[in-house]
Amino acid sequence: MTGRALDLTLHLLDRQVLDQDGGMVCNVDDVEFLVPDDGAPPYITTLLTGPAALAPRLGGLLGRWVLSAYQLLGERHDKEPDRIPYELVTDIAASVKVSRTRAEMGVHPGEDRARQYFVDRIPGARHESS
Amino acid sequence: MKKMLQVTLGILTAIGGFVDIGDLVANALVGSRFGMSLAWVVVVGVIGICLYAEMAGRVAAVTGRAVFDLVRERMGPRTALLNLAASNLVNLLTLAAEVAGVALALQLATSVSYLLFVPMVAFLVWFVIWRMPFEQMERMFGLAGLALLVFAVALWQLGPDWGSLVHQATHPTVQSGEGHPTYWYYAIALFGAAMTPYEVFFFSSGAVEEKWSTKDLNLERANVYVGFPLGGLLSIAIAATTAVVFLPRGIEVEHLSQVALPTVMALGKVGLALLILGFVAATFGAALETTLSSGYAVSQYFGWQWGKLVKPKDAARFHAVVLLSLILGVMIVLTTLDPIKVTEYSLVFSAVALPLTYFPILVVANDPGYMKDKVNSRFSNTLATAYLILITVVAVAAIPLMIATKAGQ
Repeated sequence: MTGRALDLTLHLLDRQVLDQDGGMVCNVDDVEFLVPDDGAPPYITTLLTGPAALAPRLGGLLGRWVLSAYQLLGERHDKEPDRIPYELVTDIAASVKVSRTRAEMGVHPGEDRARQYFVDRIPGARHESS
Repeated sequence: MKKMLQVTLGILTAIGGFVDIGDLVANALVGSRFGMSLAWVVVVGVIGICLYAEMAGRVAAVTGRAVFDLVRERMGPRTALLNLAASNLVNLLTLAAEVAGVALALQLATSVSYLLFVPMVAFLVWFVIWRMPFEQMERMFGLAGLALLVFAVALWQLGPDWGSLVHQATHPTVQSGEGHPTYWYYAIALFGAAMTPYEVFFFSSGAVEEKWSTKDLNLERANVYVGFPLGGLLSIAIAATTAVVFLPRGIEVEHLSQVALPTVMALGKVGLALLILGFVAATFGAALETTLSSGYAVSQYFGWQWGKLVKPKDAARFHAVVLLSLILGVMIVLTTLDPIKVTEYSLVFSAVALPLTYFPILVVANDPGYMKDKVNSRFSNTLATAYLILITVVAVAAIPLMIATKAGQ
């Protein structure tokens, strides 16, 4: 992960995150920096995802609507974004790859709820469509 | 034969753009009122969609990223959300119209009110998405939609004055009794239909569903250059049949049954049977395309797992969006709103979505960070930029023209 200049907005923000098996996990909705006390350059510590990370970037009324829509669906009651530690990132290209499975990261409570209460109850949800 | 079957993604995508329920009627209406004088718009539209669908498909094959991923990456979350809202309104209105369209085709065959077929059709659309493998789906509906080629055969049988048809097409004039604004309104409607945003959503996502990679780029191009021109050909053939039969008699096309009339005159019962098969397949295919496009666009915007290539339980939110869209679509149809009018009005939202969809495709197709050596050639960039300007002009002109002409009346 060294030796290449990355433009944060261009190469990281809004990119698709893929897990170690190539499954789609989430988008990079925001990032968290650490600014060292000793005046060294700031570095990325965490990728933030989920409506709580996206809403501030949408800003204003739109952001509040997105957030309340999610809360209404019961996805999250607090306003904390889901977090992926930057150490897990193995590659940044057309998509951002991480070295865990989706289940291990547990960053999409909405997906779990949609599965648990809705999709998994329809016959055939566990079969490949073939 | 095997090679031929591999271009069905392009064919199915094009059917949704050129011969879905709104366009079946719009093409016939244009033929009956303006003869062949708008055929050039279809040609312009075919070139434009080929250009951008090829780029979108190439990006998807090389990077595995479909169009709405790119929209969000390049336009940022706010603008992309505006595009998402507009595109999904287009998708939803079109999907409602297509479900009604399948039902209307069945009404043509059975004389039973289309409203009774609507819930059954919607269930079947959902069931196909839930259970049928992507490739099988695209082959079945893409190939069955080719039954619409019966329009071309009917045109031949009608024995038209080919010289006069070609003259109308190559020397376009506005028919007496029609105003220029109306002519341009229909020009924009046909162009908008050819370049409608769900085509690139569906085509690029389909490329990912089919697991195309850099080595499939020839296949990708074959899909584009066979599928869309075929769609355009069908569209022109429909207009030609009504130009031959209705234009001299001063009859205006308003209903699906009138679209069928010239073919029935030329080919009798066999023609009608093939036509109804074609109508059902094309509208059902377009219903699949728009329903899936809703799921694709929303999931890609938020980064959710999408697609038919995983088990439904592993793409839970994607399937939830698909099912919800269908339910909303059925609710729209059951208000007994005229489904063909609905597709005309969706043009307004297309106007917002078109530039915001095609611009990011052009940008990413030029980015070596994504595409390595597979970036656009200078030629396609020049052409694509011209089209982007054209799309923007059309987007700006669409709404005032629609109001001025009362949607072409």
